[in-house]
Amino acid sequence: MLEEKEFIQKLLNPSTQDKAFQQLLLDYQKPLYNHVRTIVINHDDANDVLQNTFIKIFQNLKNFKGDSKLFSWMYRIATNESLTFLNQKAKKGGITSEAAQQKAIDNLEADIDYDGNEIQLTLQKAIIKLPEKQQLIFKMKYFQELKYEEISEILGTSVGALKASYHHAVKKIEAFVSQG
Amino acid sequence: MKEFKLDSIPKIETGFKTPDGYFENFAQQLIEKLPQEESKVIPLFQKYKVLTLIAAAAIALIVTVPIFNSSSTITKEIDSATLESYLSYQTNISQYDLINALNEDDIKNIKKNVAIEETTMEVETIEDILVGNGNLEHLLLE
Repeated sequence: MLEEKEFIQKLLNPSTQDKAFQQLLLDYQKPLYNHVRTIVINHDDANDVLQNTFIKIFQNLKNFKGDSKLFSWMYRIATNESLTFLNQKAKKGGITSEAAQQKAIDNLEADIDYDGNEIQLTLQKAIIKLPEKQQLIFKMKYFQELKYEEISEILGTSVGALKASYHHAVKKIEAFVSQG
Repeated sequence: MKEFKLDSIPKIETGFKTPDGYFENFAQQLIEKLPQEESKVIPLFQKYKVLTLIAAAAIALIVTVPIFNSSSTITKEIDSATLESYLSYQTNISQYDLINALNEDDIKNIKKNVAIEETTMEVETIEDILVGNGNLEHLLLE
């Protein structure tokens, strides 16, 4: 934890800020991108959201109180940015958030930034049928391989509730895939 | 596909990929974008600067207006000749108005002058003055 505190100090100090922020980018751009991409599906959208996420992180560093880990604070910002983006996109298109996500999945096969095989595409189609929170939890646990404790800190949900949600999500996905 | 079990098969990846060199360029692009985001703040500061200057100018104006005004009242003091000619050609002002405008000191002065003149001058001369001076005639009637 001392290491993280020192790193945060470097991020806040104007003389070390640039270098520290570059380090932060290198360490977190890939995991945060993957997290955002699983939510918004499309690469260009993920790129927009990731940029906004890092800009927000940069602007709000001075307000970071250190109550949670830097890691979970950044994931929380990325999650909020992704969900806000989805809602805004759906609103612009005059459709619901669920319909917008369904549309994104329907477009996946033609997407040049997607090379999933049949089972991968089926899994995406199964996930999209889940309630929003269950989708989030499944993606963070299964794809991102985050620990329940980490997801708990990011989403503010108890570990017990997360385990139950994940279990439900897996059951629904297995049922969807089994039905073909 | 029957009895599909997620944990009985190897992990299924997302299948998402990124354009070549995306992450190599992302950091650079973002860092270039950050100062732009910050520069949005600068016009705001400039705006405050302009507002401050406007406020300072307004205060300076408020402070200096009474000074200019007081100096202008000195320079604008009407000389007696102008006043006299104004009053003579201003038909709306009656003699009654003029008398009303006199204060007690003015009246005393006039009385004093008249009294002095009475002792030193011949009665005819006084009468001449009274005939020729409408103001005094009025005053005496009062």
